[in-house]
Amino acid sequence: MIRFEKVTKTYKDKKAIENIDLEIKHGEFVSIVGVSGAGKSTLLKLIFGEEKVDEGKLYIDDIDIASLADEDIPYLRRKIGIVFQDMKLLPKKTAYENVAFAMEVAGYPKDKITHDVSKILDIVGLKDKTHNFPDEMSGGEKQRVAIARALAHKPVLLIADEPTGNLDEVNSFEILDLLQKINQLGTTVLLATHARDLVNKIQKRVITMDKGRISMEQAKGHYKL
Amino acid sequence: MESIALFRVIKTGATNFYRNFWLSATATLIMVITLAILTLTLVTFNITSVAIQNIQERVDISVYFKTQVSEQQILDIRSELEQLPEIASIKYVSAAEALASFKEKHSDNQLIQDSLGQLTDNPLPPTLQVKAKSLDEYPKIAEELSKSNYAAFIDKVNFQDNRSVIERLSRILSAVKRLGVGMAVVFCFIAILVIFNTIRLTIFNRREEVEIMKLVGATNWYIRWPFIIESIFYAIAASIITILLTIPIFNYLLPRLNIYLGTNLTSNTWGFNLWIIFAIQLATALILGIISSTIAIRRYLRI
Repeated sequence: MIRFEKVTKTYKDKKAIENIDLEIKHGEFVSIVGVSGAGKSTLLKLIFGEEKVDEGKLYIDDIDIASLADEDIPYLRRKIGIVFQDMKLLPKKTAYENVAFAMEVAGYPKDKITHDVSKILDIVGLKDKTHNFPDEMSGGEKQRVAIARALAHKPVLLIADEPTGNLDEVNSFEILDLLQKINQLGTTVLLATHARDLVNKIQKRVITMDKGRISMEQAKGHYKL
Repeated sequence: MESIALFRVIKTGATNFYRNFWLSATATLIMVITLAILTLTLVTFNITSVAIQNIQERVDISVYFKTQVSEQQILDIRSELEQLPEIASIKYVSAAEALASFKEKHSDNQLIQDSLGQLTDNPLPPTLQVKAKSLDEYPKIAEELSKSNYAAFIDKVNFQDNRSVIERLSRILSAVKRLGVGMAVVFCFIAILVIFNTIRLTIFNRREEVEIMKLVGATNWYIRWPFIIESIFYAIAASIITILLTIPIFNYLLPRLNIYLGTNLTSNTWGFNLWIIFAIQLATALILGIISSTIAIRRYLRI
């Protein structure tokens, strides 16, 4: 579903990623590892249209990303759920409202939002935190809300950029379990991380990046640098 | 789906409007001041124009004939005078008509009625009322009439020179225009700056929300329009406040103007119609609001 063909992205003379060839299929769980500045985030940003490809081609479901107009980007993002290390929740909204927000901006009617949001909060295990504000939740719970929000559009692809970066070990593994569960339900998951233990536990495809290039690919990989 | 989105955009705009109450109050107030200055200019301009027109209409030359001059002679003189290029119209008022209108004018004055009753002859002379095509012609016409070969028939040529009054009013009119337009421009500029700044602050306050909206796939118009809606709310609020201030002022002013100028202005008269004034205020406010919010969005809302 995602295909990079010799993709290069340059920020002010510095090549953030260089000459990347990569294909990710539907339903895969792919971990992208590497030190900070290796190009993991840039790779993800290219996929959800936050950054534009400078050289090469990037296809998502056989659509050339470069051919999309700015007005089309929002519709691309409704196919992709995105989760960040800093969660990006709205502090003045409850868990429910944070998730509902994603559906509101896409123009869903209220009754569908009510129905879907409670279902999604149930999937991520936050049924009893529905009306809590982010301040009243633990880091792990907040990240679950963020994941729930990313799932609101029933995305075909979930991108998680360092989702456990601010979490302790127990919470990290719980988030990982959740991501694997989502993957089992059919969503492709792309996880960028530093966390060695997580990657070793997943036992799935690992892509190691170094200085903007793919330095290693393993089908059932471990975290190695 | 589109109507739900529209409703949510308007709702977000309304939330922006009342969430920062004092900011919104300031933006609305500065718009009210701008609209008030604009309205004041407009109304003063209209009043002065009406006054000038009114005085111009009242200027004429009255030619009083000697009582023994026959009506036929006067009508002959009239048709000769009508040939003159500078004369616009001439109205003949016979002695009988003059008396009738005099009686009517003083119908409530018993003393005058009584003294008129004691007269056997009509004391009023027949008259020609001459209107010139332009104000500047009057002195010339008046002078020529008193010198011409009709002079023998004429008792008196009466001409009141209102030109200096009219000139003064014209000067006021152009001063009003210049001062009013100048002030209006300055305040429009201030209003644009203030609203621009208000929208800028709203964008700043909502930057997290905007970032998340982008992430979850909100369309650009869905992100932008609440800020424009916010400025539309300022415009509507400001126009309503201004028109509510205008109504009592009009109610006070118009009857007094009518007495002073002898006019018949009502709030339906063109130039004083409250709906038209409201429409002008609203249109101005909307233009100011949309200009400033668009600039703020272009500068500060990175999508």
